[in-house]
Amino acid sequence: MILSTVTIGSLAWLAPPAAEPVPDLLALRVGRAETISQGTIENAVILIDGGQIVIVGEDLPIERGIPIIDLPDAVVMPGFVNCRSRLGLDSRAGTVSDPEVRVSDEIYPRTSDWTDVLEYGVTTIGLYPPGRGIAGLAAAIRPKGDSVDELLLADDCYLTMYIGADRSAKKLVRDAFEEVDKYMEKVEKAREKWQKDQDKKKKDDEKEAFEPPVPEPEVLPMLKLRTQELRAQFSISKAADYLHLLDVLESEADVLYDIQIDLRDDLDLFYISDQLGEAHTRVICDPEIIDHPGTRRARNLPAELHAAGAKVAFIPRSDSVTGNRDWLEDVAHMVAYGLDRQVALRAMTLEPAEALNVGALVGSIEAGKAANLLIFDGDPFEAQTELTAVMLEGEIVHGELDQ
Amino acid sequence: MKILPTFLLAPAALALGGICSALTPGFAPTGFLDDDEEDEAAVAEEVEEEEGPHWLLLEGGDIFTGTGAVLRGADLLSKDGIIEEIGYDFWVPEDAERIDCSGLRLYPGMVALSATSRVTQGSFAPAGEVEQPGYDPSLDVPAEDGVDIWDFDAIDAAAAMTEAESRIAEAYDPFSTYLILTLAAGITTVEQSNAAVKLRRYEIKDVVMREGFLISLSYSTADSRRRTRADFALASTYLRDFRAWEEGGKDGDEPSKKGVNSSVLKILMGDGRAKFNADDRDELLAIARLAQEFGFRPVIEGCREGWVVADELGRAGATAIVSPRDRRWKDELQVADGGSSIENAAILHAAGVQVAVEPLSGSIDLGGIAGRDLLHLNIDAGFAIRGGLSEQAGLEAVTIVPARVMGVDHRVGSLEVGKDADVLVTDGDLLHYETFVQYAVVGGKLAYEKSEELFYAHIRPLPEREVVEASQEGDVEVEDADDEGDDEDGDDDGDEDEDEDED
Repeated sequence: MILSTVTIGSLAWLAPPAAEPVPDLLALRVGRAETISQGTIENAVILIDGGQIVIVGEDLPIERGIPIIDLPDAVVMPGFVNCRSRLGLDSRAGTVSDPEVRVSDEIYPRTSDWTDVLEYGVTTIGLYPPGRGIAGLAAAIRPKGDSVDELLLADDCYLTMYIGADRSAKKLVRDAFEEVDKYMEKVEKAREKWQKDQDKKKKDDEKEAFEPPVPEPEVLPMLKLRTQELRAQFSISKAADYLHLLDVLESEADVLYDIQIDLRDDLDLFYISDQLGEAHTRVICDPEIIDHPGTRRARNLPAELHAAGAKVAFIPRSDSVTGNRDWLEDVAHMVAYGLDRQVALRAMTLEPAEALNVGALVGSIEAGKAANLLIFDGDPFEAQTELTAVMLEGEIVHGELDQ
Repeated sequence: MKILPTFLLAPAALALGGICSALTPGFAPTGFLDDDEEDEAAVAEEVEEEEGPHWLLLEGGDIFTGTGAVLRGADLLSKDGIIEEIGYDFWVPEDAERIDCSGLRLYPGMVALSATSRVTQGSFAPAGEVEQPGYDPSLDVPAEDGVDIWDFDAIDAAAAMTEAESRIAEAYDPFSTYLILTLAAGITTVEQSNAAVKLRRYEIKDVVMREGFLISLSYSTADSRRRTRADFALASTYLRDFRAWEEGGKDGDEPSKKGVNSSVLKILMGDGRAKFNADDRDELLAIARLAQEFGFRPVIEGCREGWVVADELGRAGATAIVSPRDRRWKDELQVADGGSSIENAAILHAAGVQVAVEPLSGSIDLGGIAGRDLLHLNIDAGFAIRGGLSEQAGLEAVTIVPARVMGVDHRVGSLEVGKDADVLVTDGDLLHYETFVQYAVVGGKLAYEKSEELFYAHIRPLPEREVVEASQEGDVEVEDADDEGDDEDGDDDGDEDEDEDED
């Protein structure tokens, strides 16, 4: 695949049927591409068609006629994915606990915050619903568009949940799963009844298909957790909370979940880093060096978590436009303190994309994914490096590229 | 539902997967279950298969069992958290974790009464979850007729303190700084909100050992005395009638339980102990007489003027919970002796009263009355000894006696085969001010190691000695946690110099 020549003809079938008549082909030739999924490619060529990446490879020959952007000094990486944000949404919104709440119902287009952070390279934003307990369903947006439909990349991305060493929080989750149990019993009864009806019918009668009862809307997300159609994102605030989470999920072995925690000084998360590592749990945290409890001794918890085997996804330290601006710099700081470079890049792109359940759409430079690209004039983690341009689905939305 | 095994649920969940996708066509099942997660499941299974019993050997220490015996240079072996052997030259499995205790002493873990939630939760209980004393008569529902009075679950359900378990266990923080400090102080069991809590570290299972054993009663005002007395009279009459009815072959109607206070009934039947908060001489006398009249053994917290009426309290079989460093003048109007006395514990003990010692504050206070809190329970017992109490009784006052008060003396409070392996390894007499706890073992697992924690590691450090890890992965978290930090920042030496001294 890497050796194949990039041609217009070979791509004709790839063009979406309802798209513009002229294929929007573009070849990007850059000094280095951090693909995340396939490591670093020197002298990379990225072919983009209709906003999607078609092929990536080293020194691919490009057929004449395809416009080429030649940037021999540039470093390209996938657009940042911020998987947990309330940017552009009402900060005073509700405090209810309701699994069926969808943050997508809250989206009001035309907020400037999203286009602002797009300039800083954030090409996917995961919005989560307000509230507590089981707060509802998160959505992924592309930060440019005039309507909800244009903005929305994916809905029902994860179920936002809060858990801790707290009787009521634990009870809330247990009760919610109990509702699923009750629903399952209902389904079982309905099936028995249906079976009896079928048995009664004579041979000539038409057989009816079994239709399970429709679950209550607040039960459905919990049900989807069990069937792994949905992930949970549990927010915790200290190491003990994780043990209580495991306690709650003791009989829910199928539930897929990520852990979200705000790092702060004196945090005792290192006690459970081995457990998180063994389970390969994804930990969503902010890039921050913290002090060991009771001391001024610096700890790089994300690096420790990664060393233990956990997956790390970063979110900006502050959920604001400036927080998104400083995000890359903060992550660079973590690299300076010993976090692996590739892990750090991945923690801003593919890991958060997977936490958002859009890992197949964005988060890496890979054929078939959206052409969300950041073009830097050097190493992204270097202080002098500038973000020259931001490409969102094949379109330059910030900066300029000389052709 | 918790007990429901997952293999029953799993097929149902799978079956439902189809239904779910059918209901929500937009949400296709995604490839969440990647290779990693499958591996993970496999790993989990392997680990389960490997698990054998966990052995811990404390080698060659002087074992102060707490029952009066001292075994010099003896070994203590724990199997899965229970003391398997104490003595010399017994068989030890090869995969046992070993701690060299030569030159050190072994004591039973201390038991602290009236601890605050800071110890178990790392913080004070949030507003609205304020700790309640065990017994509030207004909340007590009299048991109904026809309820089996021997069914203590039913009686518990009617009483007001059944929530202790969920309140404490569901909020337990096994990593909090306050918990580490409490273990460093030599305390392995606390009483909080009338529940006995084992201070496990790194885990949250099985922390509440017993709850609702103490039943708080008030006997201070004329009104409360009248009411409490009436409760005892009614319950006692009922119990007598009931037993007579039972012995008489259950002829005729069962005696009515109407109006009988179930908590008081529990006290009379010996399945709970009445606890009073009393300091004044006349009140102590009144309690002693009530106890003798109805035949129960009261627990009296405070008991400041107990030394004046010690013989009465001794005859009543009382247990006194005293704070030896408590100081108060006697009531000016009182002619007889009174006020606090440093000899209180000694005089009470000599009169046959069981003496437990508790500090003035049941918390870990890093300001205010620091030094008279849980951090210094052993010093409080030392003050009782200064007042004339024997050393053995001083040790019992912070181990087996408080364990009896909570009804957990069959599990903690002394080092005996069959009891929980809650053991302190100290570098001297437990009740001496110079002594530090070097290791605290809770439930057969190393929960505290002085040299590994920030607080006291730098004070009079012992020469390095060997801790042999078990061959299976046991409790190596202590070392692991710190090692990782060191890897990251390369600052291995910092913790000794940089910590705060808590005293």
